[in-house]
Amino acid sequence: MAGVRLEHIFKKYPGSEAASVSDFHLDIQDKEFLVLVGPSGCGKSTTLRMIAGLEEISEGKLYIGDRVVNDVAPKDRDIAMVFQSYALYPHMNVYQNMAFGLKLRKFRKDEIDRRVREAARTLEIEHLLERKPKALSGGQRQRVALGRAIVREPQVFLMDEPLSNLDAKLRTQMRANISKLMKRLETTCIYVTHDQTEAMTMGDRIVVMKDGFIQQAATPEVLYNHPVNLFVAGFIGAPAMNMLEGQLVEEGGAVRFRATGVNVEVPQGKAAALRGKGYIGKEVILGVRPEDIHEEPVFIEASPNSIINASIEVSENLGHEMFLYLNGLGKENVIARVDGRSGLQEGQNVKLAIDMNKVHVFDKDSEQNVFEAE
Amino acid sequence: MRHVRRFVWEIQGHGSRFSPSRPMCGTIHANENEAGQRGKAMQQAKWQQLEQLLGPKVVARKRSAEEWEQSGGGKYPEAGDVLNTQAGVWVVTRTAGADVHVYESVQELTPLELGLLRLVLQQKSGRAPAGATELERQTRQLGDWIGQCLSSGEWRAAIPERMELRLRLFDGMIPFLLIREQGESKEPSYADLDKALRSFMADDTLLIPLPDHEWLIMAPDRLLAEADEDETPSSNEGKSVLGSLASGLHQMVSGEWGGECHVAVGEPIDPVESIVHTVGILRETIQLGRKFHIGMQVHLPWLVHLERLLIGIPEPVRSRFVEEMIGRPDLFGDSETLSTLDAFFSMDCNVSETAKRLFIHRNTLLYRLDKIKQETGLDVRSFNDAVLVRILLLLYKVTKRK
Repeated sequence: MAGVRLEHIFKKYPGSEAASVSDFHLDIQDKEFLVLVGPSGCGKSTTLRMIAGLEEISEGKLYIGDRVVNDVAPKDRDIAMVFQSYALYPHMNVYQNMAFGLKLRKFRKDEIDRRVREAARTLEIEHLLERKPKALSGGQRQRVALGRAIVREPQVFLMDEPLSNLDAKLRTQMRANISKLMKRLETTCIYVTHDQTEAMTMGDRIVVMKDGFIQQAATPEVLYNHPVNLFVAGFIGAPAMNMLEGQLVEEGGAVRFRATGVNVEVPQGKAAALRGKGYIGKEVILGVRPEDIHEEPVFIEASPNSIINASIEVSENLGHEMFLYLNGLGKENVIARVDGRSGLQEGQNVKLAIDMNKVHVFDKDSEQNVFEAE
Repeated sequence: MRHVRRFVWEIQGHGSRFSPSRPMCGTIHANENEAGQRGKAMQQAKWQQLEQLLGPKVVARKRSAEEWEQSGGGKYPEAGDVLNTQAGVWVVTRTAGADVHVYESVQELTPLELGLLRLVLQQKSGRAPAGATELERQTRQLGDWIGQCLSSGEWRAAIPERMELRLRLFDGMIPFLLIREQGESKEPSYADLDKALRSFMADDTLLIPLPDHEWLIMAPDRLLAEADEDETPSSNEGKSVLGSLASGLHQMVSGEWGGECHVAVGEPIDPVESIVHTVGILRETIQLGRKFHIGMQVHLPWLVHLERLLIGIPEPVRSRFVEEMIGRPDLFGDSETLSTLDAFFSMDCNVSETAKRLFIHRNTLLYRLDKIKQETGLDVRSFNDAVLVRILLLLYKVTKRK
């Protein structure tokens, strides 16, 4: 087992002006499950491919354990990879597919057999060992691809969108399986995904990337509750955080946030920070998570300074919860996540309250979270 | 004679070769260039040394293949071949396309001198490094011959009987062409790659090194049946298995040795008759794939028909067509539009499947397609417009995109 250290890594392709990955600097702990997440083209897969040795590193140093591996061939890095397009070898059966990497490394036959059968047992594919890939379902193929990596017993697992070819139900199931498996194997894992639900549920730590740069690297809880900028705030969470453009004003000894259809008071603690940083009178962006907009009468009664009135344009009832798409607040729809049994209807005018203790304020120019900035 | 013997030893120790750069072949790393220059300089020194040793007895000349044949030489001369002509004895030093480079004797060479000279030249041309197996020597010899035929445009040439490897080739072999884009330091050795391929495919798989980081792999077609053991695969299923085999091969090679590599695969052939033609087609397929489908590493000849047709249109005509058809010149410059259209066409214009592949909501995709329609007047959900946009997109990639 080993940690991975990326020291100011850059990736620049010939002929391209901008770097695909810029100054990626991160220590990944031994046995950590790290998730790289971000939109298409953010550099997450390129970073993973550099760790795998499939892409050359333009600048910086990469350590696996104590060893600099910039110039080490993938086969000698002691890593195992699982990709989105896991190309199972079509002419080999499941057993041979899993055994091939070990056979190439001249492992003894009995050792190969032990590892393959053990991995097959873990992945519950023992009954499939004689089958060819063509006769497997998507989920089974994916498990074989995982098995092929597991038998290597590597220092680090690298996974690039391994679940994206699966349907939603299977993806949820496999998500849990991989998490359990990695905990059991106690091996460092670096996992790339575009799906923030996968990132939030699987990662010990998440790195959010955009345009080749790390935006924030933190635990799921910290990312969700303390996003450092507008991008992270909008990327993590579904439905996404509501962003309201407005102005902060001082009124009767309190700081208020004003935008179209919104006039709410900022709690004392946050107000003091805003005053201290000179934001009074300035245009800012208020970030409100959908679940921080409440319809419960008790909450509304207790929050007279953060009440908003809106009309429901669309309501989506998922049973246990309901998403309300609200009109009349800010420039775009605001989404509220309320109890599925609230009985609210489309077209209805509704009185709601924002939990102002949980809102975020972003600088309009720098897009940094005012409360998280040092 | 002592001098000649020493020379033989030196040549064996430095099995380097001239390596003409491959056309259309992307980036050549700076260090690769430097290594190439150093190799060339060393090689030139060797030639000078050989010419000094032979003294005034020979002169180096360049003859055409036609002259060689008219003077009684056989087709496809190789280094070390000797021909008695009216002008004197010609000993082939190397061939390049239609040129035959020879040492022409000015004074009579003794049989021993001639024998040693042939030995030196044959060893040099075989490219097999010291300690190479007989099989490796034979495959390198065949690889050289294929390279010569391709560079002289003789795509229909059949493998001559004197090629020893001919006996190991049989009707029904699957051809794979593997091109690696790496500095020489990371190139797998013949022995390592050969061992991996035999383990990966079958023991009678042949690895044939071609010039410039290209490898031709000939595998038995029973792999197709092994992948589809329950039934005889139809043509389409067969192609699908070939694609999977190529993907597996790519994954195995890049996973073991890293670096960028490209793989093309063809349908099973009779190599004796069509190996040159097949390599030409596979090489062209990879070149087209790299030009039109950046980011893809596995290329299939049956998926680049349109690309092959379009590349034949003169560049000014292509550019004019693109400019006239696209109302907004920067439309395809937007990476979102490009990736949306690429995915839409690769999913056979199926909206739901494309949305899934792009990880976006179906309505988002419809919004993007509507936007394209608004800006170009072309609705990719209708067949005729889709054909036009597909062609435009391919042309755009080779005319506009840097």
